[in-house]
Amino acid sequence: MSTELPESESSPPTEESAPTRRTFVATTTAVGGVVIAGGVFGGSILSKPEAAAASAAPSSRVTLTVNGRKHTVTVDNRTSLLDLLREHLDLTGSKKGCNAGACGACTVLVDGRRVNSCLTLAVRLDGAEVTTIEGLGDGDRLHPLQQAFIDEDAFQCGYCTPGQIMSGVGCIEEGHAGSKDEIREWMSGNICRCGCYPKIVRAVEQTARRK
Amino acid sequence: MSPQPQAAVGAPLSRVDGRLKVTGKARYAAEHEVNGVVYAVIVDASIGRGRITGIDTSAAEAQRGVLSVIHHGNAPKLPYKDNKASNNPPGARLRVFQDDKVRFHGQPVAVVVATSLEAAQHAASLVKVRYDAEQPSTELSKGKPDKPTSYARGDVEAGLRKADVRLDLTYRLARNHHNAMEPHATIARWNGNKLTVWDKTQWVVGTQTELSTVFDLPLKSVRVISPFVGGGFGSGLRCWPHTVVAALAARVAKRPVKLVLSRKQQYFATGFRPEYEYRLRLGSNRQGRLIAMAHEMEHETSSYETFSEGVLDPGRMLYSTPNVSQAYRTVPLDVNTPIWMRGPGPATASYVIESALDELADRIGVDPIELRQRNEPDEDESSGLPWSTRRLRECYTVGAREFGWDRRSAKPRSRREGDWLIGMGMAAGVYHTARMPAEAHVRLDADGTAVVETAASDMGPGTYTSQTQVAADALGLTVRTVTLKLGDSLFPQTPPHGGSMTMASVGSAVLDGCNQVRRQAIKLAIEDKESPLYGVNADDVVVRGGRLHAKGNPTRGETYQRLLSRNDRTHLESLGSYSGAPSTERHSLHAYNATFAEVAVDAALGLVRVRRVLGVYDAGRIISPKLAESQAFGGMVGGIGQALLEHTVTDHRDGRIVNANLADYLVPVNADVPDLKAIYLDGEDREADPLGVKGLGEVVMVGVAPAIANAVFNATGRRVRQLPITAEALI
Repeated sequence: MSTELPESESSPPTEESAPTRRTFVATTTAVGGVVIAGGVFGGSILSKPEAAAASAAPSSRVTLTVNGRKHTVTVDNRTSLLDLLREHLDLTGSKKGCNAGACGACTVLVDGRRVNSCLTLAVRLDGAEVTTIEGLGDGDRLHPLQQAFIDEDAFQCGYCTPGQIMSGVGCIEEGHAGSKDEIREWMSGNICRCGCYPKIVRAVEQTARRK
Repeated sequence: MSPQPQAAVGAPLSRVDGRLKVTGKARYAAEHEVNGVVYAVIVDASIGRGRITGIDTSAAEAQRGVLSVIHHGNAPKLPYKDNKASNNPPGARLRVFQDDKVRFHGQPVAVVVATSLEAAQHAASLVKVRYDAEQPSTELSKGKPDKPTSYARGDVEAGLRKADVRLDLTYRLARNHHNAMEPHATIARWNGNKLTVWDKTQWVVGTQTELSTVFDLPLKSVRVISPFVGGGFGSGLRCWPHTVVAALAARVAKRPVKLVLSRKQQYFATGFRPEYEYRLRLGSNRQGRLIAMAHEMEHETSSYETFSEGVLDPGRMLYSTPNVSQAYRTVPLDVNTPIWMRGPGPATASYVIESALDELADRIGVDPIELRQRNEPDEDESSGLPWSTRRLRECYTVGAREFGWDRRSAKPRSRREGDWLIGMGMAAGVYHTARMPAEAHVRLDADGTAVVETAASDMGPGTYTSQTQVAADALGLTVRTVTLKLGDSLFPQTPPHGGSMTMASVGSAVLDGCNQVRRQAIKLAIEDKESPLYGVNADDVVVRGGRLHAKGNPTRGETYQRLLSRNDRTHLESLGSYSGAPSTERHSLHAYNATFAEVAVDAALGLVRVRRVLGVYDAGRIISPKLAESQAFGGMVGGIGQALLEHTVTDHRDGRIVNANLADYLVPVNADVPDLKAIYLDGEDREADPLGVKGLGEVVMVGVAPAIANAVFNATGRRVRQLPITAEALI
């Protein structure tokens, strides 16, 4: 199955043009109603259409498979895999916690390996197979690690949970779930601020054992 | 009224929303699908104090997709009416884009709205702001304190003079940030003069009132929706400026706007647990009986609001002390306003008091538990009120036995395993039991299922699950047939989801509403000639599994479905309510714990590893044991962070927070956390509230940091009087 997203408003690429208008505002003339300082905004805070047409970011066409479904999308080259999932494909299960690779909430599997999707540019993923939390189970049947998280109460607020589970799947696949201590080390890229670590370790350990 | 069988309450159930959370289907603030949404990114002040002298938005506006750049030079003037029904501290709240003043580093100075997130982010980086910068004052020790809040009983100075043992100790606690995993976020949408926001908040009602006063709208014109909250720990207890920015941006752009704070922005766009300096002078006799305690504490607040918290309570009531004085000062600085963070007040005070008691125990050669037992008060000496329930002695006894406290060496630095020095410590924890008015709507449908609606939140403790348990038992239904709906300002009002009062307050309202509906059904049955229960005394009817029956005769009865359909009733409903704490309390109500920790400290490197933590809790009735255990673990992990890792660092030259990210502001990760154990004493507190609960979320954090600090002393013989205890303090 394949979906074609409509071309986003930021494409196709156009020539960069230097800003031509100076919109420097003297502050003393501010405040009061929709008062425009110095009139430099032409009577509206909304930018003029010609300004909006000025400088666009380059974009690219990418075909990738997400949870078994093929997508061909035109993405702004600055778009991370995480933002592609969350803002364009309505797959909000992958979470943005820090957007800097420090918390692991955005963990997904790319070609079977766990990655921080916030640090992965979507344009790099032509031909890649991405699995997110939404695609982990088999239809209505939960993946054993998802069930173990419920059974062990390995989450509270639930925000880090999809990342923890995807990371746990990766951890087990990599063979890094041999002992509690090993799991603690290899799951330390995923922060749980609610403090469910002992239960996360239990869930991963049990799932690894059953495998 | 016959007591209902308790099948769900007290059972170790899994979360009713577990499936949604493990499949990624639970929608948090920024994840709601809103047609035509555009993106807003805030531009933060890059100075710590001063005035904006100019803003150049040309480069930003030249970016394709940019719809608007809003700042004080062009923003609509906002009414900002007073908001008395809020958690806003005394002072004048920050008014976004209403003047040219910069009050702290990171204050919002502009917002860019664009059709894509990438364009908004990039354009925000292109907004050039000119400032007339002044030197900010951000150092606690150099600020000018406000007038103190004072308290005294007895004569502290005389008490100290006659004491055999005197300690004069000053402790410092770093600023901590909540750092919930979900960033604060808002989606705002206007429909004419009606505003809907999907917001990360611990109080939809509070955000609703704040937005209605800021924009001067009727309360009913503002709807706030927040079904799932990705952690809070207090950071969502008030409506912050960025939520106003989102609503303002949506109004200007005439489009729904999504605004998600970056991780960095959480450090100055929302509050924090303030930095403290806390001096404690303490006097006791040779046996360790406390004679006097003098507390002087000060913490930072902003220049525009005076934040305070309940830091005085433990010093007044935890130990029997005839002479107590307290002086509590806030220090206005060029920082944003703090907010309550898990265990607010007691988590700070207990670190100081419990560390000092450990010092006293060591000085006079008495076991720390024995010292606490000797100072156990018979009543609350600050109010003269009797305790509702206080089972701290039992917490000590159970904890000592379970933890193996007898294996602790009283002599510090006497247990070693290779490079590691091993030590054990303990501390007591306390948090007052607050209750506030709440309401919940209960509807029982003719198909035998029920829906409960209440504006409360679930930031992680499991409100959905535990309230379902309460409702199921009160209605006589199975958990599966009850649906809880939370986090919508259209639902009946609730207090803030904080201060450990959700179960006591909202739970009591849910209980009341369900009891009323059950009574309606019973009345219907016993007055209905066609019912097998016709003529039975109402007090002799119980409901179980959706079936009403005579007590002691389960065969005589019928289901809700049959009863309602025969009577042509589509549903029964009721608005449950709870009036909150009485205006005059007749008891002193608190939850307690004894927390035990074992640490290993690398003798050469000063590295501290927590090896075990045990918490024993007197928290009243436990509604949901499985979730309560998770809460306790969360408190312990939070305490490990407070004790050893968490420290917001400010560059005092310009007021900038230098570690505003999760790589440099350290929070516990999996490898930092050992096996943890939580024990809840069986029981209930009948004075507290109809459910007999005393609250959990705060007390589980209180006492953890001092237990660890005391264990570090026991391991090393080094007394570090500041948090966090980092390696450099130990080498």
